[in-house]
Amino acid sequence: MQSKTSCFNGTLFRKNLTRFWPLWGLAAFIGALFPLSVLLDMAHRGWHTYTAPEFTQMYYEVVSAVPVISLVYAALCAMAVWSYLYNARSVGLMHTLPIRREGLFLTNFLSGFAMTLIPYAVTGLLCVIVSLCGGAFDARGLAVTVLAVLGESFFYFSSATFVCFITGNAFAMPALYALLHFLAVLLDWLISSFAQGFIFGFSTNYTGAVEWLSPTVYLAHNIQPLGTYEEVTQAYASGTYTEHVLTSVELENFWLVGVYALAGLALAALALVLYRSRRSETAGDVVAVGWLRPVFRYGVAGLCALLGGQLLYSLFWYGFQTGSYYDTLPMVVCLLVAGTIGYYGASMLLAKSLKVFRGSWKGLLAVLAGCVLVCCVLHFDLLGVADRVPEASQIRSVDIRVSDNSYTFTPEQDADLVEQVRALHQAVAAEEAYIRETEAAGYTSSMDESPDNSHTGLSITYTLKSGAKVDRWYFLPITRDRMAQPGTYDHLLDQFVNSEAMKARRLHLDDGFWTVAGGSLFLSIRDQYYDLGSREASAILEAVGRDMEAGNWGTYDWFASDNGGDYALELSLNFDGPDGEGHDYITVVVCPAMTETAQCLKRLGLASDEDLVTYRELYPQDYPQDDEDTAYYGAQSGNGTAEVYGASGGVAVSPL
Amino acid sequence: MIEVNGLVKRFDGFTALDGATLSVPAGSVYGLVGPNGAGKSTLIRHLTGIFRQDAGTVRIGGENIWENAALKARIAAIPDDWYYFLQSSIRDMMRFYRGFYPDFSMERYEKLKEVFQLDEKRPIRRLSKGMQKQAAFWLALCCMPDYLILDEPVDGLDPVMRRQVWSLVLADVAQRGTTVLVSSHNLRELEDVCDHVGIMDHGKVLLERSLAQLQDNMVKLQVVFPDGVTEVPADLPVLHASRIGRIHTLIMRMNAQEAEDLLAAYSPLLVDAVPLTLEEIFIYELGGADYAVKDIVL
Repeated sequence: MQSKTSCFNGTLFRKNLTRFWPLWGLAAFIGALFPLSVLLDMAHRGWHTYTAPEFTQMYYEVVSAVPVISLVYAALCAMAVWSYLYNARSVGLMHTLPIRREGLFLTNFLSGFAMTLIPYAVTGLLCVIVSLCGGAFDARGLAVTVLAVLGESFFYFSSATFVCFITGNAFAMPALYALLHFLAVLLDWLISSFAQGFIFGFSTNYTGAVEWLSPTVYLAHNIQPLGTYEEVTQAYASGTYTEHVLTSVELENFWLVGVYALAGLALAALALVLYRSRRSETAGDVVAVGWLRPVFRYGVAGLCALLGGQLLYSLFWYGFQTGSYYDTLPMVVCLLVAGTIGYYGASMLLAKSLKVFRGSWKGLLAVLAGCVLVCCVLHFDLLGVADRVPEASQIRSVDIRVSDNSYTFTPEQDADLVEQVRALHQAVAAEEAYIRETEAAGYTSSMDESPDNSHTGLSITYTLKSGAKVDRWYFLPITRDRMAQPGTYDHLLDQFVNSEAMKARRLHLDDGFWTVAGGSLFLSIRDQYYDLGSREASAILEAVGRDMEAGNWGTYDWFASDNGGDYALELSLNFDGPDGEGHDYITVVVCPAMTETAQCLKRLGLASDEDLVTYRELYPQDYPQDDEDTAYYGAQSGNGTAEVYGASGGVAVSPL
Repeated sequence: MIEVNGLVKRFDGFTALDGATLSVPAGSVYGLVGPNGAGKSTLIRHLTGIFRQDAGTVRIGGENIWENAALKARIAAIPDDWYYFLQSSIRDMMRFYRGFYPDFSMERYEKLKEVFQLDEKRPIRRLSKGMQKQAAFWLALCCMPDYLILDEPVDGLDPVMRRQVWSLVLADVAQRGTTVLVSSHNLRELEDVCDHVGIMDHGKVLLERSLAQLQDNMVKLQVVFPDGVTEVPADLPVLHASRIGRIHTLIMRMNAQEAEDLLAAYSPLLVDAVPLTLEEIFIYELGGADYAVKDIVL
């Protein structure tokens, strides 16, 4: 006869399943709707509507949705089976029973995990039946799906179990669980955005470096069905057409499931360790593990300081801020206020009392000192972040966005350009004080009024060989005087952007990567829009290239104002990367000096002489007609070298 | 035998048990009494393996109770607030208990059905407090425990059912040698069923004796002193004194013979020893421990 005091108790297992059947029953019902809808679809459209790979793709789509579904559902199952820990009466009953805690843990864990799996099992079984009905059963796909669902569900249930043993309060459990799963990305964003407000040029909103610690985000990003398609020409009544047919499907990064399942095993083991030492009297406590209480107290204080501090600052001080960086003293005050609120809030939760002020002032001082220290480190840039320019040997690639364009360089192919970017970056970093002072003096409003002053944005992203990224963004004041002085960043910027190599880059001429795929043309005078085919776009691109060689296109005028001297048309050219991966586009502003481009448009029948009018001619009321302004306009457009061009970088390959 | 030695338990800096020591002889009915907050329920939660002590030992039948499943299978406990699953009936809970307690007796369950006369299929939450208490007794007795630990067990039961429940418990003690530890504030009732008593206060067991020893340790005397002696002589070790007419009622911590010998020096006209109730012993013992009944005029 089996001992009733062994490590597993069937009565408790069954009791859990019968007590909480509405939970898994409802989930199973909702899960069953998916295969049933497919079945109805097949009954309507034909039993062989879907192929085996398409069924497999459906399975894998379920797998890719498991992180989001199980994040909530596994937590509910864990809360159900471990709910007895949160009530003094129920914990009294369970711990009086003749079964060791290992037995209670194993039995409850297995029953909770079974509850987690039942809806998936029901859905999976119905999926198999549906795919058999369609005569397209894929055993391998099913096996991969089963393993993936098992692994992901195990991880989520284990992590929820772990959190259940950290706390003794049913209301705190979901909050702590959400915190555990999203703390890494939250902190990444909070710290990056906070540092961005202090450190000159720092522009990282989110690094993603620790995303793997937020499994839902990481798995949702990385585990996806990856289909292979084949072009098939089909015949129909009056001709043929080409369609892409799914031939096979793989589950991308399937191995990650195994890694997280192992992590789940570790969390389950840790939960058991916590249970063995857990005190029953912690039922009702927000944090049930003694050594985690200070972590919770100071963690909440720190989180509140960072989050609440920035919130308070934006509410009360943002309007008074000088420049684009935080004013340190007001931010310190906001941090201190938010940190104090967080610290005492956490203390009240831990003590389950509002009377916590007298005995905890020393801890508060530590929190406040920490807030001041963090602000000092960032304000004085004690870590040297602002001055950091990666060595060329460390760089895998550089993405730069400047003068309305984006470019990607690699040291192997563009060593000179990479060095120029580094030199420019060093020059900008060296003139931090000048840039900040100019900004604080309000250069944007005063400079816009002068033809010799302007400002521009500069964004640089280094991808290092280690995989790390260094992101910088600057809003730079530029003047004609400084641009003429070698060694200033203004000068380096102009030399870099207006070099012949960069001009060619703008048009993706002979770079072997981008292929012109089409474009668009909008003629303002006719209010007419054209889609350009690849051949038309290619011809226009070549014409713009000839204009560039003739010096009529490609020199960026940093001080140009909108004087209406360009043709009243909008021309965009689209590019595709290799194998259709990645897209880019440029917008070409056409001016009267670009005779080759104008001729090309006429030759293609896209524009006539009547269409090639400038904005100033088309909308004279929008542009001033006084002599001084006309003289300035004439100087801009008459020399044939100061034409304004514009282009915008795509995002698919160049991450900028 | 239940043995607790130097038991200490602290909750967030508050000491609930401060070196409690007690000993419950096998086959006895031990009444644990004490004022509110004395630590009785905390002590009981240690005896049932719910709490783990900060210091000291808790041994039942010579074994530590903590995480001792085999020992727990011989113990049944009824807490003052018995827990049952929300949707469960008595029958559901019976199945649950039966799945854990190896000696659970279905035969006894069926027999006790006639005693308690409860609807075993009705959800327990729909039963009255007293009926829920009966259900708890029903199931606990079916576990055939060697040790029965009861915290305010008859609270909410009507007098007939109280008598019925106690007769069942005492029958188990008599027939199976069950050891019973019962915590209650109903001292008159304990006096009827307990053979041993322990008095707790401030997390300690102040004293524990058999009821007979306890009654022998303290005496209540009615004394009439000779003419001219209106007050109780100051050198008499009196715990409490009251007077109606010429009759003085004295409570003294000694046996009757010793008290009479002491009083003989004052040539009393009358000395009459009256037995103390458990309630009186409780009041006067705790009076000595700074828990006296205070004369408050409102």
